[in-house]
Amino acid sequence: MKKILLVDDSTTTLMMEKMVLSRARYDLVTAADGEEAVEMATREQPDLILLDIVMPRMDGFEACRRLRQSEQTQDIPIIMVTTRGEAENVEQGYKLGCNDYVTKPIDSLELTTKIESLLGS
Amino acid sequence: MSMAPPAASSGEPAPRSKRRSADRLVRKRQYLHVGQLHAAAEATTVTTILGSCVAVCLWEPKSRIGGINHFVLPHWARTDRLSPRYGNVAVASLVESLCALGCRVENLKAKIFGGAAILQASWEASLGERNIELARVLLAQKGIPIVGEDVGGRHGRKLVFQTDDGTAWLKRL
Repeated sequence: MKKILLVDDSTTTLMMEKMVLSRARYDLVTAADGEEAVEMATREQPDLILLDIVMPRMDGFEACRRLRQSEQTQDIPIIMVTTRGEAENVEQGYKLGCNDYVTKPIDSLELTTKIESLLGS
Repeated sequence: MSMAPPAASSGEPAPRSKRRSADRLVRKRQYLHVGQLHAAAEATTVTTILGSCVAVCLWEPKSRIGGINHFVLPHWARTDRLSPRYGNVAVASLVESLCALGCRVENLKAKIFGGAAILQASWEASLGERNIELARVLLAQKGIPIVGEDVGGRHGRKLVFQTDDGTAWLKRL
């Protein structure tokens, strides 16, 4: 079973992402900020990371940069989750090594199709 | 990377008066979000950022009317309302919008961008490839020539498109 790490400081967003992805057979693990995300990714070795940008302690940009620097996590695909209106976030995220992006509110079909495309259905 | 419109790439410089006129042209600026489209008679510089999504840019050189979409998925799944997030809706809506502004389909030219496949996990075509294919098929069906493109690959793209003359600048991210 493919493992996905969901990273967001909003429990509501995490709940929605879990609800959308629970329809498919994924093993879902969560982190509440960038620092926890880097630790979880190193330990859990997920097949994909869904990464929020604006978070306390360590934001998604810094988490992405650290994930790409580490040999253990540098090849894990990252889809960044941004709020509409944060266009500059998207460009910066790509520069740091994110692979694709989705915008909040999350569209379930868009999210599942992008994940399936990256992981195989 | 810069992709010039056909007139500018033909090797014949525009007359000085026209060049001055174009230089003075102040274009509106707009950021195009995922799933939106923009069609305008007024010269507009539209910026968008593409991953696996595709943007179809259309313009009519004579009238200098043009527009662009940014779609996420190839086909409307009929599970929710019609939306330009889907390629088949986005391309049809863009053409309709331009025709409503006075364009004729046979005079339109197209450029397509995006459709990256960052990682290919399965043997099936990636989402990006399916988006590109849909754009090509729909434009061919309407007889609209694709005069410029930068599609596929493994990188995101920042696209800046001028609706009035079809000029597009692309930055690979």
